Amino acid sequence: MRLSVLLCTSFVFATVLALPAVGGEATTYGEGLTGSETVKLSELRADPDAYLGKTVRVEGLVLDVCPKRGCWIELAGDEEFQSIRVKVEDGVIVFPPEAKGRKAIAEGLFTKRELTEEQAVAWQKHQAEERGLEFDPSSVDGPLTIYMIMGTGAIIH
Amino acid sequence: MMPSVPRPPRRRRSRSWRRLLVAIHRDVGYSVAALTIVYAVSGIAVNHMHDWNPNYKLARESRRFDPVETSGRDTIVAALVERLDLPGPPVNSFRRSPEKIELFYDGWSISADAASGTAIVERPRERLLLRDFNFLHLNHAKGIWTWLADVYALALLALAVSGVVILRGPQGLAGRGKWFLLGGALVPLVILLFLRYL
Repeated sequence: MRLSVLLCTSFVFATVLALPAVGGEATTYGEGLTGSETVKLSELRADPDAYLGKTVRVEGLVLDVCPKRGCWIELAGDEEFQSIRVKVEDGVIVFPPEAKGRKAIAEGLFTKRELTEEQAVAWQKHQAEERGLEFDPSSVDGPLTIYMIMGTGAIIH
Repeated sequence: MMPSVPRPPRRRRSRSWRRLLVAIHRDVGYSVAALTIVYAVSGIAVNHMHDWNPNYKLARESRRFDPVETSGRDTIVAALVERLDLPGPPVNSFRRSPEKIELFYDGWSISADAASGTAIVERPRERLLLRDFNFLHLNHAKGIWTWLADVYALALLALAVSGVVILRGPQGLAGRGKWFLLGGALVPLVILLFLRYL
């Protein structure tokens, strides 16, 4: 009986203590920010090879969030028509859909993926399926190069 | 010389030891029942993450409007607010391409194609209870909850061990219990053998 009371009290106590970490203005994901160099997306786009394999920090509006697993966010660039995906390890960091439209700062390794036309079709098909949209394979017109940040941490305001 | 205290008979010692085991199994069992339900339900939910979002429902609504001539972002936003009868200017907006634009409101968003006159309104909703269950199960609370989850894991360990040895006779470990124990252990071993080592 005493053991039960002790365990129950402990769980309730822990839940109450854990609550303040849930709220707040900004939420930290993963390792947070470690002090890497902040790079504008327009600079990354202008000379991507200079940043490949380096840890970079980017800032921007969250345009989209992985609708199923929360395993990536898409950040808007400092200029129109530019965005970049920050991919994180499945289940380790989970971004919520309500992050859309908020300001985020993310850090991670800047990477490049070169897809053949076949891989590009599969990639775009997967993207459409995640959003529950129809996919037209003819919309892919050749091989695709994707620049992405393999995210280690982020702060969303 | 101290007079020697007679030891209780072996059978009595065994009985008092089992009584303690039953008490531990019973009380720990009651204590962790609620959290076990939380972890089990969340476990099933997150196992199928590839097929659904276990935390949120994303309600999507397709809308149509008279196409807007592609011009500056502010002009397109103003036109969309009017044509889609939106509740005022968005908190944020961004153009993905000359005709595709995203409008962000508090807790919901719109992706619109100004040229084709199509838009998708997306509203995420937290899944009742499941969101909270996953929050605890996946240790998003962190901090002290990590330690409490460790205590819970130890409690489960105590339940498993006491559960195995609690019964005597033909229903216990010496009887049919050993076959169930063996069967239960074989399942993960076979999976490991075929899916990891072969």
